[in-house]
Amino acid sequence: MARWHVKDIILVTILAIFMGVIFWVTGPLYTVLGAALAPFGLQPMANDLLLGLWCMAGPLAGFVIRIPGAATLGELLGSVVEMFLGGMWGAATLISGIVQGVGSELGFVLTGYKRYNWLTLVLSALTTTLVTFGWDFFRSGYNKYQFGFMMVLLITRFISVFVFGGVLTKLITNLLSRAHVLSPRANA
Amino acid sequence: MNPTLKLTVIVLIALEVSFTQVWTVNVALIVVGLVILLLAHIRLRTLLWLTAVPLFFASALVWSLMLRGNASPHFLIVLFTRMFVYVYLGATFTQTTAPLDLTRSLEQNAKLPSKFAYGFLAAFNLFPKIRAEVATVRAAALMRGQVLHVWSPQLYFKVILTAMTWSEQLADAMTSHGYVEGAPRTYALTIPLRSRDWVYFVGSLALVQVGLCLGLP
Repeated sequence: MARWHVKDIILVTILAIFMGVIFWVTGPLYTVLGAALAPFGLQPMANDLLLGLWCMAGPLAGFVIRIPGAATLGELLGSVVEMFLGGMWGAATLISGIVQGVGSELGFVLTGYKRYNWLTLVLSALTTTLVTFGWDFFRSGYNKYQFGFMMVLLITRFISVFVFGGVLTKLITNLLSRAHVLSPRANA
Repeated sequence: MNPTLKLTVIVLIALEVSFTQVWTVNVALIVVGLVILLLAHIRLRTLLWLTAVPLFFASALVWSLMLRGNASPHFLIVLFTRMFVYVYLGATFTQTTAPLDLTRSLEQNAKLPSKFAYGFLAAFNLFPKIRAEVATVRAAALMRGQVLHVWSPQLYFKVILTAMTWSEQLADAMTSHGYVEGAPRTYALTIPLRSRDWVYFVGSLALVQVGLCLGLP
């Protein structure tokens, strides 16, 4: 099984920072969306709608680096970077980072780190959704919602994670494999 | 306090208040967090920011639960104060600890392999370059009349290629400066792990447990 070298560690960190910088742009989007939905009691919806974007570093790192733990490390480092660059949740970001990372890692675990294709990404999107939703179930009081609304949030979250962590990640990795920069095991 | 222990205690407390519902403990933690922040001479603007943002999110969440949920008022108060616990406690770490100290402490005190510590530092220090690169990629595309959005695969494709090149170059540069993975290292600067740190660590965790078990509302 592949091991971590300093080159991979730098790569996953740089990737995490790149994602962080790109999502910096979505910061205002989240606030505006949240503020627009808040009067209707739909503010958590903004969270669920955009969650996929924040969780993208996981599947992308897992797909590009292909070492067990890459998805977790990608998300975790992303949250470390966010913590130090003035994200307002401070050290508490790390918990979300680990939760999201473990969520997307599970998808890769289920395929034994052997397949890198659609199935992996769909599984990863599914596990990310379930794990992060489970976390919000307790942390953000999602367990106190009416069942119907809870399901709406869950489905919204899955669609978001699927679109960004699945479809967009697949499109990106397609470009990468056409450029022949993914590891050779990729096409095996 | 030792950075590793400080981080651990904060994450543990944040994790614990996520699963417990005692708002008095939350309020106590908020007060402690505020005192630490004030002692650390936090700037007023930062403090206002750290108050206004969670105020919005906490109120919106509570409002949403009132409209579409069946939570008790007690639970809503717990949730409201919980958001502030996250933000204030989290800030006590980031406002008092430099990334370099944390990495050093993780390497020396928590025995994190040096490749992770230095790999992370190397990349972290590239931050200004990374930010410039994203702007460059977007500007370059604009010159060809392409607008790259957050959802454009091209944007990610380009930055991933850059990340791959940079990480190879940085790793080579480290090797050529004599860095060997897994080799024993000496430290120019040691981060102390005193018994005092352990007392703070165990003490604050114990206090939180006592607060949670007292049967407070």
